[in-house]
Amino acid sequence: MRKTWLVPVTIVCIFSGFFLAMQLKVMANNNTLVNPLSQKNTNLVMIIKDLEKEIKDQEDQIEKVRNTIDDMQKQDVTGNLQELQEQLKESKIAAGLTTVAGKGIIITVDDNIEGFKVNSQSDPNKSLIHYEHLLNIVSELKIGSAEAISINGLRLITSSEIRCVGNTILINTTRIAPPFEIRAIGSPKLLAEISLNGELEILKASNYPVSLKEQEEVIIPAYKGSLQFSYAKIDKGE
Amino acid sequence: MQKVTKYKWQVSLTVVFVVLGIFLSLQYQAQNRIANDLTYERTENLIAMVRSLSEKRQELAFEIYDLNSKMSTLIENKNDEKKLIADIEAEAKKYDIVTGITAVKGRGLTVTFEKSMPILYIDIINIINELWAAGAEAIAVNDQRVTGSSSIFYVEDESSMFITVNNHKLDFPVIISAIGDPNNLEKGLTLPGGIIDNLALFKTFPQLSKSDSLTLPKISALPNYYFLYEYKAPPEITTPTPAITEKTVP
Repeated sequence: MRKTWLVPVTIVCIFSGFFLAMQLKVMANNNTLVNPLSQKNTNLVMIIKDLEKEIKDQEDQIEKVRNTIDDMQKQDVTGNLQELQEQLKESKIAAGLTTVAGKGIIITVDDNIEGFKVNSQSDPNKSLIHYEHLLNIVSELKIGSAEAISINGLRLITSSEIRCVGNTILINTTRIAPPFEIRAIGSPKLLAEISLNGELEILKASNYPVSLKEQEEVIIPAYKGSLQFSYAKIDKGE
Repeated sequence: MQKVTKYKWQVSLTVVFVVLGIFLSLQYQAQNRIANDLTYERTENLIAMVRSLSEKRQELAFEIYDLNSKMSTLIENKNDEKKLIADIEAEAKKYDIVTGITAVKGRGLTVTFEKSMPILYIDIINIINELWAAGAEAIAVNDQRVTGSSSIFYVEDESSMFITVNNHKLDFPVIISAIGDPNNLEKGLTLPGGIIDNLALFKTFPQLSKSDSLTLPKISALPNYYFLYEYKAPPEITTPTPAITEKTVP
């Protein structure tokens, strides 16, 4: 009696085992890069990582030289120079080239990994944080008169863009990965109110993990990139 | 009777296994996609990344060159006040372009929206973001210069809705002007599937035109800061006992 149902169960087990193994093998192949396309990608990724490392070194160097120049400028303070230097400092702060601190908020948002695990047939794009989400959060912070903003340690200045290449988010051409931490200096109450009634509420409603905390002192780093202008010239004839 | 129940057993078991298999494999796929590894990006995206990173490296190299020559000027002309003043003025010019405190001119691109075109404040935000991404050096919307703290939003009165930039209502035609390489700026907006394609879905067809000389207005004053101050690294940082490192920004 028993044997009659044992056989089909065994067959089913073997089949499912077979399919699982096949599935895993397909994945493994993707990882070990058997097809030429992924081979090409690995090369490109290597180039990207090299460039990123080089850029990181350059940025560190820029930061160091800027600090040295800062210190040198502080030393000789007499008459005309002193006044000029104070003005320079003011515009430096406004341009985003100094590390700043103040009251503000820290927002964190992350991909909805849990939600994706629960319902894995849904479109994975609906569980990821996209650049539009970050752009909306930042735009709202600006409406709330944020005085300085950074995302994952990258200071946003006038010309900072938030964009994506595929599923990768870039700010100031630097790749950033989730979780995203957005810092803003400004009135914590106002910033929190605007954010919680805007993009953050929408993300929360879609079960993305988000958090917002108001803080006595938020530290936001200086912009470390370049300031090269080849097209824009100061217009003196105003 | 007994036979029927036995078959039910097997059928349900099979169904359970099949479902289990599907779930397991999907799960595996899901985990991989969410891992967000660059190797899974499309090749052309990776190529685009390489290109923009190379450009950035180039710009940073220029910046390093500039900063180094600035440093040697400072050292060589320690006692030459005139030269030092000239040096500070040159540095200030760069910041002035960023903060928008001076008017700027140069080649660039204008994007014009007529009154008949449906447009939302979010479209303006997106276009400006795309223009920065495409290498714009300065941007203005009508007579409002766009800076790091520019707010772009809308207000409504009884009859109509206005988009606002820096809390100023925009009148039509709305003209976004960007200084930068006109061809790159145009390309940034007109990529297939890009922002211009998107707007076309809503029957909005802004007019793009390249210009050899655009002049962008300045802001009236640098922003007032009520909360922000310059961060002074605490002195502990210089002491060689970094037992608890400062919680500076990651």
